Amino acid sequence: MVFLCWRLGMATEQPKPATEDPKIDLFEDDDEFEEFEIGQEWDDKEEGKEVTQQWEDDWDDDDVNDDFSLQLRRELESNTEKIEAKST
Amino acid sequence: MAAYMSMGEAHRRITEYLNRFYDAVSSQDGKSLSRLFSISSDSSLQFLADALNTFQDANRIIRQSESSQYADIIVPVFRALQSYRLRNLVESYLAFEKVANAFVQEFRNWESAWALEALCVIAYEIRILAERADKELASIGKSPEKLKGAGSFLMKVFGVLAGKGPKRVGALYVTCQLFKIYFKLGTVHLCRSVIRSIETARIFDFEEFPARDKVTYMYYTGRLEVYNENFPAADHKLSYALTHCSPLKEANIRMILKYLIPVRLSIGILPWNSLLDKFNLTEYNNVVLALKRGDLRLLRHALEEHEDRFLRSGVYLVLEKLELQVYQRLIKKIYLIQKQKDPNKAHQIKLDVIVKALKWLEMDMDVDEVECIVSILIYKNLMKGYFAHKSKVVVLSKQDPFPRLNGKPVTS
Repeated sequence: MVFLCWRLGMATEQPKPATEDPKIDLFEDDDEFEEFEIGQEWDDKEEGKEVTQQWEDDWDDDDVNDDFSLQLRRELESNTEKIEAKST
Repeated sequence: MAAYMSMGEAHRRITEYLNRFYDAVSSQDGKSLSRLFSISSDSSLQFLADALNTFQDANRIIRQSESSQYADIIVPVFRALQSYRLRNLVESYLAFEKVANAFVQEFRNWESAWALEALCVIAYEIRILAERADKELASIGKSPEKLKGAGSFLMKVFGVLAGKGPKRVGALYVTCQLFKIYFKLGTVHLCRSVIRSIETARIFDFEEFPARDKVTYMYYTGRLEVYNENFPAADHKLSYALTHCSPLKEANIRMILKYLIPVRLSIGILPWNSLLDKFNLTEYNNVVLALKRGDLRLLRHALEEHEDRFLRSGVYLVLEKLELQVYQRLIKKIYLIQKQKDPNKAHQIKLDVIVKALKWLEMDMDVDEVECIVSILIYKNLMKGYFAHKSKVVVLSKQDPFPRLNGKPVTS
């Protein structure tokens, strides 16, 4: 699409559509942290919170039986066969 | 607009406020005093505003009351309240600025920190009133500048608190209000001097501050570390915020995760899907899956699909750099597949094979380009091995050919 527009533009030198100045909205959602009520305290024990436990750093396993790996294997094997077939 | 109220009733309400003010100051009751300044958030003050709009000469009552010595604070409080009720938000802000200055004057003279809670409410209110005043200014085509003004005022307050003594525990609250202003105005570089005072000054022991302020502080400074691409520091700060945030504030936990997830992805730590689902951060589902699979096509699509969201929160560039980890994973999969077929030859990977895998993932690259990618992986210690140039093969190290990041960033 972009490529096509560019081609058309080159061919006919169409005038650019008037672009509006981008307005920066000062009040857009800026991930402002919600206020904690003044004086609010809570039990901030570190153990047992699911938000801190639901992470993994040993996901990088050697398993190649998932769908993606099986497809990849098929892809690589079919290609090798073609190459081998060509070279013989 | 204002509900009907008799003069007698109006007089009674005004006198009641003045008595509450006097009592709070003379008994040094910071909590009661703080409520008298909650213009935008305490609805009971709206009745007082109606009373003031009915009873035009409130100043006379102030002069005759025991609170007359605090007229410098109370007269503008009344004006701010009246204007706020009539939705003259710029007027309201200007009056409240006078309140804030007069209050800080008194606060300096009080030796103990009893009025800290009231000062915190004033710091909060001045920010909120400034934001609303700026909206009003912008809507009539004038330049919004009150929030900037509130920032300068709060810097002054920070100076008052950041000395020795018991008042310093309020410094972090004011800092957090300043962060909210600077992030909103896009002037985050101004955070730096405040951060320096908090982190280098010996008078502050960070753990002494209230939990709510520590969590807010770590959220904002963590975001700054994301912008600076200092991922270990960002991980430390955002993790602190996550661990210590009130479990009741789910919206805040979600905001912390929104920044912590890309940071952890970049150091090789993945969130569980259940975490993404619970906090409705499903825009990360496919990014995580792409990393696990080594699926470059999926990574590209996931980034395209949520481009707006990722750009707006400023994490797009962090996510884009995950590409190298996905290449690493893909080549590792090729290696593992070869290993199943022929363990003896598995550590030799033909660049052609990588080209083919990439083609399958709709990435058109020739052997030279793939060689370039693989050199980058080797240089950044995501792969160990060397090239056999003539045969266009990369020979992998037999020991730990694909080192894990283990919580450390990719070498730059």
